[in-house]
Amino acid sequence: MIEFFRVTKRYAGGQIGLDGVDLRIDPGQMVFLTGPSGAGKTTFLKLIYCEEMPSSGNILVNGRNVSSLPRSKVPYLRRTIGVVFQSFRLIPRKTVFENVCYLPRILGLSSREQKKLAFETLRQVGLAHRLNAFPLQLSGGEQQRVAIARALINRPEILLADEPTGNLDPELSDEIMRLILDIHLRGTTVIFATHDRDLIQRVGRRVLTLDQGKLIDDYELPSGLAAETEATDGEQK
Amino acid sequence: MSFFQALGYFTREAFLSLVRSWKISLLAVLTIAVSLILGGVFLLVSGNLRHVVEGWKSESKVVIYLRAEASGSETVRMTRALEETDWALDVELVSAETAHRRFRRAFPSLSDLLEGWGENPLPTSIEVGLDWQQFEDRPALEAAFAELRADPAVSMIDDDRDWLNQLEAVVFVLEALGLVLGAILLVTAIFTISSVIRLTAFLYREEIAVMRLVGATEFFIRGPFYVEGLMQGLLGGAVAVTALFGAHLLVLERYAGAPLSLLASRFLAPIELLALIGLGGLAGLVGAVTSLRRESLGQTAETPGWAEG
Ligand SMILES: Nc1ncnc2c1ncn2[C@@H]1O[C@H](COP(=O)(O)OP(=O)(O)O)[C@@H](O)[C@H]1O
Ligand SMILES: [Mg+2]
Repeated sequence: MIEFFRVTKRYAGGQIGLDGVDLRIDPGQMVFLTGPSGAGKTTFLKLIYCEEMPSSGNILVNGRNVSSLPRSKVPYLRRTIGVVFQSFRLIPRKTVFENVCYLPRILGLSSREQKKLAFETLRQVGLAHRLNAFPLQLSGGEQQRVAIARALINRPEILLADEPTGNLDPELSDEIMRLILDIHLRGTTVIFATHDRDLIQRVGRRVLTLDQGKLIDDYELPSGLAAETEATDGEQK
Repeated sequence: MSFFQALGYFTREAFLSLVRSWKISLLAVLTIAVSLILGGVFLLVSGNLRHVVEGWKSESKVVIYLRAEASGSETVRMTRALEETDWALDVELVSAETAHRRFRRAFPSLSDLLEGWGENPLPTSIEVGLDWQQFEDRPALEAAFAELRADPAVSMIDDDRDWLNQLEAVVFVLEALGLVLGAILLVTAIFTISSVIRLTAFLYREEIAVMRLVGATEFFIRGPFYVEGLMQGLLGGAVAVTALFGAHLLVLERYAGAPLSLLASRFLAPIELLALIGLGGLAGLVGAVTSLRRESLGQTAETPGWAEG
């Protein structure tokens, strides 16, 4: 569960990132975060995984008040939150396996356990056969799948996606969207930031709209695209 | 992950990074090595010089020349008196005849010179070997010497101490100079390592950001860099010790017997070698720690958020 209580973020330069936002996201919910560029979508996500700290207000993530979390505790919070970006942020000189296994390695898993975990997670995103490829040998859509696998490797309760389809053409966007829906259907809370209104219309679910840092709208759309588990079954290459 | 697992991981990562950016790593290793070599050369030269001076000191003598008019009883009295003191290790009365004989033996070609003189021009003297420990106690000794000089039987006192003390002062200055220069260079080396590590961290910024994002602790992010600094420092120390040993061998081989060889004939003690290597390692570690002390590692995203606090 994620709760915002009158959360305001003012950057050092005086820019308003978020302005008095109050809301609650239940466990397992799928939420779209939308609004024009500069509306505060990225800021909203950063506050959840403690990349930024709020200027005022409180944020609860799974019952923990992250707005007063000591810096040394932030890594432990992040291990329960997966994050994906528009730019994938994979390390080109590392293989898919290595890219996906940063956290398992830090946690001290044996290389056998790492391989097994990487294999299972990559199978979930449909890339088990590319374990030893390098990111630049993959298409954009495949790279984003690797990034998603990296975010999922520790079975997080929350997945944050900051415009994950922004760099992809529409067909690939839909594939990634289905994949993320599938992850949601397995019980993960998903917050999906995008300014792609079409995509939201097709998928449905809860939609939060930000503008100039303010939460100006919060409504529910009927579920559309990709009914349930067809999501991954329906995907071909 | 256990501490030892972590250490293994840090070492692997540090090694990979050393290999990957070997050129700048080499720069760091060499700056450390140069500063340690310089410090080591001073240490080597001053250590050998000190050894030589110690040798001379232990053999050094004070020669008290007596006037020709001094009577035999006076000479004997003075010898006794000297034997009583605690700074005179051995006291030898050298009669004019003995001096004459010694001179002829030492300089056979010049013996004619003495013969032509008629009477023996060499005075009777008393040679006093000094106990170095007592010798350091200057005021007491000065007083004793002043007393001797005032004695009507004494014509002059020939004393090695002055120039030996000067030589010792030279050794001391050399050591101090070596320490200061070595320290300055070591600080420079620390700065170099610090910049090299900062540069490496910059090269790895994307990876560091990803590690932060997935929940790596600072310990995990910084560990490899600390180990890398340590490795560079230890390598620099090893290079320095090897170079010093090479120089020592070269001097022994090329200049054996030459006065210069005295200054490098004895190599540094194992403990000094370990200290040099350890100092290199410490410098590397300090360089790494100072380079990562601030927010130099950047943040997960493109923007530094936490820094503003
Ligand atoms: N690191 C930052 N420093 C200063 N201002 C920032 C920073 N990040 C975002 N902002 C400002 O905060 C506002 C919201 O930005 P952002 O959250 O990135 O919006 P969005 O993701 O919806 O495009 C914008 O006005 C932006 O200029
Ligand atoms: Mg954004």
